[in-house]
Order: sequence, then C-alpha cells, then structure tokens
Amino acid sequence: MQIDQKKIDEAVSTIIGYGGTHILDCVGCGACSAVCPGVKAGFDVLCRKLIRKIVTGHLEEIIEETSSWGCQACNRCTEVCPQGVRPQEVVFAFRRYQANELAFSTSSITSQMNLFETGHAVFTDPKANRKKVGLPEEPPTSAYNEQAQKEIQTLMNNSSMGELGLF
Amino acid sequence: MEQIGLYLGCNIPLKHPDIEQSFRKILPELGVEPLDLEGASCCPAWGTAPSFDLQTWCAISSRNITIAEQKGVDIMTGCNSCFGILSEAKHFLEDKEMKKKVNESLSAINRTYQGTSDIYHIAQYLHSKVGVDAIKSKIKYSLDGLKMATQTGCHTLWPSDVYKIAEQNPYEPTILKDLCMATGAEVPHYSRLAACCGMGGMRSTDIEKSLKLFKEKLISIKEETDPDMIVTTCSSCFMQFDMSQLILRERGEIDFEPIPTFYYTQVLALAMGFDPSQVAAISQIDRSKIIAEMQSEQRLVKEVA
Repeated sequence: MQIDQKKIDEAVSTIIGYGGTHILDCVGCGACSAVCPGVKAGFDVLCRKLIRKIVTGHLEEIIEETSSWGCQACNRCTEVCPQGVRPQEVVFAFRRYQANELAFSTSSITSQMNLFETGHAVFTDPKANRKKVGLPEEPPTSAYNEQAQKEIQTLMNNSSMGELGLF
Repeated sequence: MEQIGLYLGCNIPLKHPDIEQSFRKILPELGVEPLDLEGASCCPAWGTAPSFDLQTWCAISSRNITIAEQKGVDIMTGCNSCFGILSEAKHFLEDKEMKKKVNESLSAINRTYQGTSDIYHIAQYLHSKVGVDAIKSKIKYSLDGLKMATQTGCHTLWPSDVYKIAEQNPYEPTILKDLCMATGAEVPHYSRLAACCGMGGMRSTDIEKSLKLFKEKLISIKEETDPDMIVTTCSSCFMQFDMSQLILRERGEIDFEPIPTFYYTQVLALAMGFDPSQVAAISQIDRSKIIAEMQSEQRLVKEVA
C-alpha cells in the first residue's frame, strides 16, 4: 500500500473539520467494530475499518461507500472505545464529508425537504388517525405552525446546508 | 402537580398518535402535567442535519430546547432518537465556542439557548421521578401471569456519558424491566436483550441487512422466552417489530405467529383501565386478543379496604 503524507494530512483534517475530533487517538484495537450492529449486518466500512481508511489517506477513494449510511447512530462504539475516540463522531464526520460533496442516496433528499417545509423529517398526514384516537387533528408541533416553519427555514437557509440546493 | 415539557418528535404524533394519547392519559393520573411545546420540530433526525453539519444540528435541537426553557420546564420525550439527538446536542453545546456560534444562528429567529432544561426519556422519568410504587398503586388490571419481552432501544443506553439518567449497566438494561414488572407481568431475560433491532438508517439503506439483524433478535426472543407480547420504549423499535415480523412471516422465514408489540405506556394505560380504542389502536399486527385478555374482568384489582 502506497502511503502519501499529503493525502493523509488532508483526509485527517477534513474529518476533524467535520467533527471527528479525536480520530488520531485511535490505536486500531477494533473494540468499536466488535460491538457495531452495522458491521454485524454487513456494512463493513464503519468504525475501525473506516478510521483505518481515513488515517491512511484513502478518503476520496471511499466517497461513494454506503456503509456510513447504515450506521445506526447507537454509540455502542463510543461506550466501549478505550481511547475516547468517539468513533460514531468519525462516522458522522465522514457522512458530512460525503453529504457536502453530494455523494449520498437521492432518497434521503425527501427527508431534507420535509424538514425544511414542515419541520418534520418524517411527514404523513396524521389527521384521520389523531381524530380516531381522540386527539386534536393537528398536533401542537411545527407541522401546522407557520411561525415555527419560518424559524426552521431561516436556520436551514442560513446554514451550510442551505448552500447545497437541496430545498 | 409536576410539570414537564412533552416533546413529541415526528413518528409518535404523526404515525402513532395512540402512543401520544397513552402519554396524555397516564401522566396526570401519576401526578405529572405534560405541557405542549408549541411549534417544536423534528429533533432533527440522524439522517438530516446531523449528517450534514454539526452546527445546524445543534441550532435546530437548541431551538426545540429553548421552547421548554421559555416555559421553565425540563423536556420529556418518548422517541429514543429524539432523546439521543437532543441529549447529544446538549452535550456539544457545553462547548462555549459551539454555544456562542449556535446562539448567533438563533439570534436570527430571536431565540437564545441557555442550557437550563434537562432531557429525559419518558421511561427514565417514570422510573426515577414517578417511581415504580406510584405506578403499582394505579394498576386497575393486574397483568400477573403474562410474559413480556422487553426492547429498550439503543438511544437511551449509549453513550451513557451524555445522558442525564443512565442505566447502571447499559448492556443489561433494567429500567424497562422494572416498569413492566410494576404491572404484575413476568419479564424473563433473553440473550439478545441489548441487541439492535435493525430499524433506523440501516433499514432505509438496506432492508435485507436490517431484517437479518431483526430476525436474529426476534428468534432469540421467541425461542428463549416465548412471550405474550413484546414491550418497547422506543417508537422506532415499535415500528420495526410491528412491520417486520409480518414480512418475515409472509416470506416463511419464521414459523410462528407475529408477537403483538406495544409501546410501554400503551401497556401501562391498558393496565390502568384506559380505552384501547384511544391508547392502543394503531398496529399492523392484530392485538385485539391480547388486549381483551389484559383488560379481562378476572384481572380487576380488588380494592383493599
């Protein structure tokens, strides 16, 4: 394997910049991968293997990798890591790298649009079911609250997500 | 009466309002007044802002928290993902630099995050603030003799260092077990107790991988405990157990009938005598038989003079 210091530095600083702050504390013990439900299910480029790819400078090579989106965000890895790496934060930093390069499944764009429009990532018309169980048809959330929706839209438009043209 | 901000999230108010109704029925009976957090949004879910930008995640989460702060109350949620997201955001906001940046974002909508409201999951709140004895005293139908398999869900367990209330050992969680036993039910241990159900990002990314993980957990439950019902305190786990058992059954991958699944407060509401058409009305698996059993006349707890 060819190791290129410049690529390593770029990969590591990209991941640290996106929130994987403690990546360099990893000693590669694999405790994280041993408890990871994603790895168990077959999303193999998570935890130890993902960190290994990044610290050897292979970031661009794995930009299309889907394993990161199979992460359950369960934080079992964070709990067991003896080095305080918080591996899930590395996985999410990698996701952010992918997302900001628009390297993610188009199906997830719907959730971003739903969040922007209604304040709910998952939105289905709840009125009939709510009425059936004896609740007001409209929940007290942002779903039917224009002011709340405006606030969410302002926060999202002013963020780096707003520059990606997803909503 | 103790007041608490009821943070609903997305799936509970929009897809499973009977779970929301079960909160609203049981809480006042147990001495807790839930206050609506008007205009609260998605937490935001893991696949949205947290996957794009840490600061946007913290801004949207902190906006939700400010709604409770303005009312001077803590937050209680029934959704594990919301609990995890809000607790982690609060953890990131302990960093002064992050708090400053987020408050700059919030200033555009005339809000300021203080950090004064704590985040609780409803199971933790019932267990530590209301207490098992208070729950026992409100049981109208004893669930004695019924067997429950518990499913706590990931996001109230790990990482234990960011949660206001943590299990003594998150790999052997006991909070839900205690809560279930308060209804009189039996709660046997099974080997995959702390395993992931496969819902969440995994299911939307690759349903086959998700079902593989789910099946292993389900078979452990069936073979080791053969329960009357599965009881969870995670709305996402609830959906996985309610939807995916039927898929496995239809495919012939399991040779037993799908096990009725409930969110914990639905079980409690039924045991407290509330109307099933309000508190346990929406599921794909038919639960009518077990609900009738739970509220059968011979289970009525006799008043002790």
